[in-house]
Amino acid sequence: MNAKGQDKMSTTREITLGDAMKEALAEEMRRDEDVFLLGISIRAGTFLYTKGLVDEFGGKRVIDAPLAEPGNFGVAYGAAQEGLRPVLDWMYAGFSYFAGSEVFLQSGQYHFLHGSQHPLPLTMIGTCGVGRRVGNEHATLPYGALIHHPGLKVCLPSTPYDAKGLLKSAIRDNNPVFFLWHTSLMATKGHVPLEDYVVPLGVADVKRAGSDVTVLASGLQLHHSLKAAEALKDEISVEVIDPRSFEPFDLDCLLRSVEKTSRLVIVDEDYERAGFAAEVCALMMEKGYDLLDAPVKRVCHPNMPIPGGYIDAYSMPTPDRIEAAIREVCR
Amino acid sequence: MALNGKQKKLLFTNLVRAHALDRMMMRIIRAGKMVGFYHEGGIALAPGVAAGSFLRQDDAMNPHYRAHGLAHMIGKGVDLRTYVAEHMGRVDGCCKGRSSFHVSFPDHHIFGWSGNIGANFPPCIGYGFAARYRGTDQVVMNCSGDGSYQEGRAHEAMLMSANWKLPHIFWCENNGISQSTAASETFPVQDVSRLAATFEIPALIVDGQDLFACGEAALKAIAHARAGKGPFFVELKTYRSQEHNVGGLNNEGAVTRDPKLMQEWRETLDPVALAAAKLIKQRLYTADEIEQIKADAEREADEIELFCEASPKATPSIDELMNGVYAQ
Repeated sequence: MNAKGQDKMSTTREITLGDAMKEALAEEMRRDEDVFLLGISIRAGTFLYTKGLVDEFGGKRVIDAPLAEPGNFGVAYGAAQEGLRPVLDWMYAGFSYFAGSEVFLQSGQYHFLHGSQHPLPLTMIGTCGVGRRVGNEHATLPYGALIHHPGLKVCLPSTPYDAKGLLKSAIRDNNPVFFLWHTSLMATKGHVPLEDYVVPLGVADVKRAGSDVTVLASGLQLHHSLKAAEALKDEISVEVIDPRSFEPFDLDCLLRSVEKTSRLVIVDEDYERAGFAAEVCALMMEKGYDLLDAPVKRVCHPNMPIPGGYIDAYSMPTPDRIEAAIREVCR
Repeated sequence: MALNGKQKKLLFTNLVRAHALDRMMMRIIRAGKMVGFYHEGGIALAPGVAAGSFLRQDDAMNPHYRAHGLAHMIGKGVDLRTYVAEHMGRVDGCCKGRSSFHVSFPDHHIFGWSGNIGANFPPCIGYGFAARYRGTDQVVMNCSGDGSYQEGRAHEAMLMSANWKLPHIFWCENNGISQSTAASETFPVQDVSRLAATFEIPALIVDGQDLFACGEAALKAIAHARAGKGPFFVELKTYRSQEHNVGGLNNEGAVTRDPKLMQEWRETLDPVALAAAKLIKQRLYTADEIEQIKADAEREADEIELFCEASPKATPSIDELMNGVYAQ
């Protein structure tokens, strides 16, 4: 597979990230009758990726759930224990905190605690992302908190291709997977093959090759990082890596890149403190210190609540801030 | 639903076994051989025995944590040696000695319970949902105490299971107290089952010291749920004649509960004695036969204890444990 992962695919077309998710759901539901979809007002489609699915699969498999997050989680968790393969849509990922104990302490920890004997095939979907002017509850990016709790798998695509492939991997996985998607990317278009494919969890993707500095970024920030790289192309050769999943995390891909560039900027839209970027910094200290010619730089949301209004457009990492960070580590 | 003689004998035998095991668990924890805590069943085991004794293996159950579900799981037919071994952190534990008291028996559709009171309700909606999704006639026996009905999750479960007509039995073993707070201080109603009326869930109130009344209620609830008539609520009034958990205080609010009253309850409300008297009167068992059932139960408990003592403590390597975080 090349950087776009598409070299063997004969037929592609351009579709949105939302349409790619919808295709993943529909194809997996056709493939396996144990897969069903549950969420608040998903038949009408709060987001377009569930709209119309009820027409094909009926109300038995596309279910409008009540405003009861722990209860809805329980439907998915209990059904998964009974051997079904539920997909639970939280709408906004931050709404999953309503069922915090269930998400953080039950879902991912059931398998281990009960003797590593019983799979729990449970997919959760939630959107997140700063920049919609709506404040913390609808924007919060939970992956740092999620991966802090062992047992969950967590991913966030930046392209329609990755969205479809990761969501299919999530549904086929025998563990709880939290599939995040960035609200600002739903209408982003990209090439997606017609053939069945998956993007494995735990395989990062080099979205732009370069030789002077490595930038690690996900979701919307992947696109911001590509913009910064493009703006700098005549001065600095920037390699941009998309981890695609935070757990499992493809550290080898990152180390291979830093071996070449000797410099690393981590862009993370989540709060700076104790987040994914901080985790990668620590991993670099332990596993890649000798590769570095400059201190690792983080570009994150400042340690203040994600605000609403017009402020979030500049409180989150922007191409300008990423560009400045790249210049700083390349001085 | 009237019980036949065979059903009464089954209930009684299971209750005697539950009592022997409850006492054995108390011996183990007092000897410092249990890895976690234990919440003694005492005279409150009849509801749990009734809840488990008439279920099929493929019926889902969430056992109440009182007596750590012993009474409930005896009827379900799980391997009690692995249950006790788990509590002792041994390699033969049902969860390989790493769950403390979060035992599970998925082959019996008992998927382990949470230490968070009230956390049991949402998964039980899921078990009922799965039965309906697959078109089976499995039922869900959701056992808990009165305290768990203070949690919002209980109300979500009643809402959802009633709305979707799921085969969900709410089995509320009401001992009138959660840890050290009286139910009368936390509920605006005297009977917890009144809450079910809001959701149009049919409800029964049963004397939880009367083993056969508990059994009849279980049969009625199971038949209702299995017939596809939706959820059913059974409130079983029982007593906690000892502290909440071993080593805890036996208080009601700031006040110690009267030891004489506790003793009186143990003497007059013992469900084994009450049931034995009825069985003898109905000529289902002789006094000698009852003594034999008790002796058999003691022997079973002793054998389980010996098995667990012989099982090595589970101390797997961190590497082995790390390999078990995710399923393949």
